Amino acid sequence: MLGSASLAALVLAYTAISNAHVFRPEVVPPAQEIAVAFTELVVGTRPPPVTEDQQHAAHHHHHSSDHVGTLLQQGVTLQASLAITAARVLFGLLVGAPLGILLGILMGWSRRADDYLHPMYVLLRSVPPLALITYVMLWLGHGEAHRLIPIVYAVAATMVIPAYHGARDVAFTYLVAARALGAPRWLLIRKVLVPAASPAILGGFRYAVAIAWMTAVGAEMLMSENGMGNLIVGGGLWASRSQTKADPAVVMVGILALAAAGWAMDALARSAAARLTRWAR
Amino acid sequence: MNGAAPALRTRATRAVLSLGVMAVVYGLAAEAGRGRLPDRVWLGTHYVENVQLLPPYRSLAEEGTFLVESGILTGSIAVSAGRVLLGFVLGAAAGILVGLWTGRRARAEYLAGPWVTFLQFTPALALLPLYVLWFGYGEISKVLLIATNVAVVALLGAHQGVRSVPRVYLDAASALGAGERLTFRKIVLPAALPHIFASLRIALGLAWVTIVVAELIDAQMPSLGYLLTLAGAYPRVPTMVIGIGTIGALVLAFDLLAMSLHVRATRWMRRAA
Repeated sequence: MLGSASLAALVLAYTAISNAHVFRPEVVPPAQEIAVAFTELVVGTRPPPVTEDQQHAAHHHHHSSDHVGTLLQQGVTLQASLAITAARVLFGLLVGAPLGILLGILMGWSRRADDYLHPMYVLLRSVPPLALITYVMLWLGHGEAHRLIPIVYAVAATMVIPAYHGARDVAFTYLVAARALGAPRWLLIRKVLVPAASPAILGGFRYAVAIAWMTAVGAEMLMSENGMGNLIVGGGLWASRSQTKADPAVVMVGILALAAAGWAMDALARSAAARLTRWAR
Repeated sequence: MNGAAPALRTRATRAVLSLGVMAVVYGLAAEAGRGRLPDRVWLGTHYVENVQLLPPYRSLAEEGTFLVESGILTGSIAVSAGRVLLGFVLGAAAGILVGLWTGRRARAEYLAGPWVTFLQFTPALALLPLYVLWFGYGEISKVLLIATNVAVVALLGAHQGVRSVPRVYLDAASALGAGERLTFRKIVLPAALPHIFASLRIALGLAWVTIVVAELIDAQMPSLGYLLTLAGAYPRVPTMVIGIGTIGALVLAFDLLAMSLHVRATRWMRRAA
């Protein structure tokens, strides 16, 4: 109740302030301009100006570097960009999560593997994924790889930690009991280790989802000709010599869409986690 | 698990061994790669000549001495680390304060809830163009971007920390007549510390991710983000590798620092291991 009230209050306050001519509209775009940018980016066309008032508005819009117009000319729509970014995020999660979970379980399960692999992991994990983009590009060319590899890497590095702790903290008594009952190794792993580690892993997966989105958008902002990051900055930052001509209305539409998508994916991950660990309660 | 000396020595030996093997394998791969790896790379628009895809230690050392002697690397480290630290301190302070507040007061939680959820799922890097418009190309945008990123994570950590205080403790304290302030200082804050520190370690990693992108805006030379960009634009692989390695080493150093602070601040707790 109070929450929706505070949400409504801010939307109202923003509409009032942005229309009060306190700030320049290029800096704080009026709420209706954000709505217009949103509709235009979803529909994919700009309605022809009809009335004089709208003509004036359109003219005004063109004045501050026509970000929406450029995007529309390139055939960019909000939903298509979101789908592209979501596909990259999904790829990163599908490839990176199993890799990270395997490494984490291996290090948590075997003391020897932990001793040998953990130092390497700590060293590699310290490198921010986005720093790798240009290097990957030199190796694998100017394709999709330099956007996907940082996401995969970020997801994998994130998933190692919960899998490691989950596997290491399996109650010792469970293992002793299972061994005493004569469980062979694969049964021990399938029936004791994986179920016991899964709550931690599923909890960590929610972090990985958030980090995958952030890395995907960052990579697209730096070097990509499609996706949400590209929509927000209107062209790769590296390509454009670090000059952004972004229209704040587009940026805000992009941020709102990304927040909604991130929230939806998290809700999905949460309900899947609740379903998968139902036995724990 | 009883940190016996021999076990510790085995661990140390194995760590040195594995890192040593990694270093040697890299050196061998670099030597083997010379002449075998492509020297010309097509970059979408043009060819790049004389790329050392795996630079041998020799060129890394040369490039390293040049970067250090010219003051580029040391200057970049100072500038970037300064931005990260400033943004981190600002963001952590704001985030922890708000998080403690929303954790303690249900009304604050209802009030802030939607905002926290919104910010939590906004990839912070997406705010960069907006910050540039609002705060200009200078230092403020970069530091604020890091601070925003850190604040969200720290806020969630502090909030969860306060919420994880067992109800019994609070009931016992109030039954014994402890006031609001005493309860907060002696029970809530110490019990929330582990959560707060865990979130700060995550936030520190994110702060370094942010700086790599933030420093592309109004890019000026002494900064690690720009060093990486320049190295990528030429491209000069030894510079790239040194830049990546430097950022990695800094992240590692900051992480170790945060961890030792964590251990110190929670020394009063009994540990299982």
